Amino acid sequence: MAARTDLLQGSLDLLILKTLALEPLHGWAVSKRIQLLSRGALEVNQGSLYPALYRLRDRGLIHSEPGVSEEGRTVKVYSLTRKGRQALVVEREEWRRFSEAVEAILATG
Amino acid sequence: MRGWWQWVRRRWEVIFRKSAPELELDDEIRFHLDMEIRQNVEVGMEPGEARRRALVAFGGVERFKEQVRDVRGARMWDDLIQDSRIALRALPRQPAFLLAVLLTLGLGIGGNVAMVGVLERSIFQALPYPEANDLVLGRVTWEGRVGFTVSGPDFFDYRDQVRAFRSLAATTPFPVSATITGVGEPERVLAPGASVGFFETFGVRPAAGRYFLPEEGEAGGPPVAVLSHGYWQRRFGGDRGVVGSTISLDGTPTTVVGVAPEGFRFLQTADLWRPVQRGVDWASARQFHNFVLVGCLAEGATVESAQAEVDALSGRLAELYPDSNRGKGLNVTNLREALTERYLPTLRVLMAAVVALLLIACANVAGLLLARGSARRSELAVRSVMGAGQGRLARQLLTENLHLALGSGVLGVVLALWVQRGILAFVPMDVLGDIEAGFGWPTLGFALALSVGTVLLFGVLPSVRVARTDPAEDLKAGGRGRSGDRSARFRSGLVVAQVGMTTVLLAVSGLLFRSFRELVRVEPGFDTGQLTLAEVQIPRGEYPDPEEATRFFTELADRIQAIPGVTSVGLTSHIPIRHGGGNVRIALPEDFGTGGVFGRLAYQRRVLPGYFASLGVPILGGRDLEATDDAAAPPVVVLSESLSRDLFGDRDPLGATVAIDQGGDEPAIREVVGIVGDVKVQSLAASVDFAMYFPYLQAASARMGLAVRTRGDMSGVVSAVREVLRGLDPDVPLDAVTTMEEAISSSVSSERTIAVALTLFAAVALLLASVGLYGVLAYQVSRRFHEIGVRMALGASASKVTREVVVGGLRLTVLGLLVGLPGAWLAGRLVQGMLFRVDPADPMTLAGVVGFVATVALAACVLPAHRAARVDPVEAFRAE
Repeated sequence: MAARTDLLQGSLDLLILKTLALEPLHGWAVSKRIQLLSRGALEVNQGSLYPALYRLRDRGLIHSEPGVSEEGRTVKVYSLTRKGRQALVVEREEWRRFSEAVEAILATG
Repeated sequence: MRGWWQWVRRRWEVIFRKSAPELELDDEIRFHLDMEIRQNVEVGMEPGEARRRALVAFGGVERFKEQVRDVRGARMWDDLIQDSRIALRALPRQPAFLLAVLLTLGLGIGGNVAMVGVLERSIFQALPYPEANDLVLGRVTWEGRVGFTVSGPDFFDYRDQVRAFRSLAATTPFPVSATITGVGEPERVLAPGASVGFFETFGVRPAAGRYFLPEEGEAGGPPVAVLSHGYWQRRFGGDRGVVGSTISLDGTPTTVVGVAPEGFRFLQTADLWRPVQRGVDWASARQFHNFVLVGCLAEGATVESAQAEVDALSGRLAELYPDSNRGKGLNVTNLREALTERYLPTLRVLMAAVVALLLIACANVAGLLLARGSARRSELAVRSVMGAGQGRLARQLLTENLHLALGSGVLGVVLALWVQRGILAFVPMDVLGDIEAGFGWPTLGFALALSVGTVLLFGVLPSVRVARTDPAEDLKAGGRGRSGDRSARFRSGLVVAQVGMTTVLLAVSGLLFRSFRELVRVEPGFDTGQLTLAEVQIPRGEYPDPEEATRFFTELADRIQAIPGVTSVGLTSHIPIRHGGGNVRIALPEDFGTGGVFGRLAYQRRVLPGYFASLGVPILGGRDLEATDDAAAPPVVVLSESLSRDLFGDRDPLGATVAIDQGGDEPAIREVVGIVGDVKVQSLAASVDFAMYFPYLQAASARMGLAVRTRGDMSGVVSAVREVLRGLDPDVPLDAVTTMEEAISSSVSSERTIAVALTLFAAVALLLASVGLYGVLAYQVSRRFHEIGVRMALGASASKVTREVVVGGLRLTVLGLLVGLPGAWLAGRLVQGMLFRVDPADPMTLAGVVGFVATVALAACVLPAHRAARVDPVEAFRAE
């Protein structure tokens, strides 16, 4: 287990949205997928994953329904809503601007 | 649609079924942990270690669940609590604003809560009887006009023949007293008469013993009494053994048969009740109207059906007994309505006044909030730029206002307790009994609703208006944007409304005050100064014949006369202003009983010689009543001037005879020997003062009033009179001691109270309105600071600037007066019934109000105008 970067405040939502944009997943799979896609660099603090999921669901960005895991257990499967897709576009753009800005500042050094 | 439904369902679950999502959550966590453990095992960990690692990676499960719950809690509550904190932190930072709002609204809310409290206690809780809604009051009517007391024989006919009443009872509504002797000190007690079935009508059970039996209500029935609970406790210490014992009542041995339940009273306070006996005394003739009736409607009967049945019977009685019953009827009214209708006009006017006061207060607070909102524009604009939505800002302002309103509500309830006590003390509703001050839940609920309601009334518009900011403009202009203009116009409108309402209040209070002044200016017809009043009742049993009673009262008068400092003493059965007493029909002998002429109703008084001189009632013709006018001498009478003129016109009444109804078929014929000046009999406001005076020797009375006139200090005379009375008969107490000035003053107390109360309300209203006007002008001047500076730099004189501000203020005032005067005219009509010798559109009053409002408004303009005139152009530019 190499050094891992903690997630920046607020970016967890964006990552969840992005992950779910690819395919509907249950909670555990979301955390694993983020870890996988970041090539192990980002470790999702599991304690904040579920609050984030519920928060997004309350805002109507994601939607949950009962599903079945690979092992045949009943789980909750999360998927992106239409509103969630729109939010992903907006938040992604903001993130881009933010990281560009930070990069620009850092580049001056 | 589906999303919306899910949203609702989730809220529902969060709020009402906390356990359901929790279970769901547990499942999810368990699944997560299981997956984590399996993964750990797959990479080669021991199962125990795999589990521990999984739990560590997750963090405390319970703490996590708490977090999830937080996220899911209704967001609104979070906002509300946050706003609450902001409000509680922000408000005390502007103590002047806070104080102004709390006091203004507190006054407004307090007045209303007090009035509702009075209504709750008087109108809605005043009848503590089990059958209160089915109870009706029966009052006599004359030619359709509702009077009060009904005759005994008529009562018995209604009781026995009208089937719409499950029960009907009679009681004497005026104070009837008796002397108890034989048990310790002699004591005067209040002993009204009550018919058989009186208590049963109210559906109350005796606290001890029983009520009256049917035979006790017949002539010759045994003398019995029912004690009131209060008297039973006070005099007999609540001893049940008193039931069945004998007490001496006015010298008659009387058996106590029972005790009424605690708190029971009807119309007046009583110490004990004696049964009304058919055909005896008070109930002996159809001409003697001594009773008020209370009935309980039978199953299925209504007030209307009872009235119809009663009307039919009244018609039959009028045919059977034309002499006594022609034109006479009985009015049936719901008891609650009947008892409170007297107070309703007063309460209604007070209620209207406090509502107007609250509206004015709300207008002021709305103005204050707008001004504060304008001052906070920059702050709000910053918050808006930081991302707070308009709705969010409005909600925050509204939360702040809610705090103000609730604070004012609490203050208002505290104030209301005082105000309510004052109203109850000064609008004595004696018919309803002692009404205890205080509030029940209905009034407190009203207070809360009113506080929240005022927020909606005064808070929403300013909140929305202030929250709808254009940040760019507001930040740039420092609060002098277009929206500032709009709010200034709105505030001006508020001031116009305030001035208008204040004008109405001032006009009504002015009318009532003038009416009160007219009332107390009425000449009562006698000299009211230095008069001490008292009453004496001799036990009938111990002074059985008029001779002895006369000797007693004559001796009493002589001895009082001899007290140093006493100039004169008058004895009368009814002291003017204090006692109206009953009135009786009087006519010329040739008219009496012919059926054509009814004659007049006149108050009868029995007086001892010297009464007129002592009270200062002028003898206008003939002679005074004298000691020689005794039972053996021809019956004589002295008439009041207006009665004499009414009966005889221009003819000389002296030596003529009059016929006076005495209950039987034959009237009493008396010779008119004197004419005296009119005296106000019942009250200062009474318009007719027909009175006739009989010599005591020809018409004895067991109860006499004393009017003792003294020189100089009056304080010692009461104990001296008491001393004299004890010397004459130690068993006779002196009661109802007061002075004539107090008697007159208390006779107009309700008129004075409403005049004073309304004047007070109007003064507060005027103060609030002038503060409102001042606020608007001051605000305008501060907003135009720069403009005024420029103009003064360009040569405008200070006096021109001053004039402009004053004219602006007066313009609002005039608009307010234009709105208010028609309202005042209308309000004057509405209170017309309460006015005495004052026209509802009294020009003097209206002119006074206009002048007063204008003067106060001018005063409110002075300070802002002064400030405008002192604007220094250099300062104004620098501020820019």
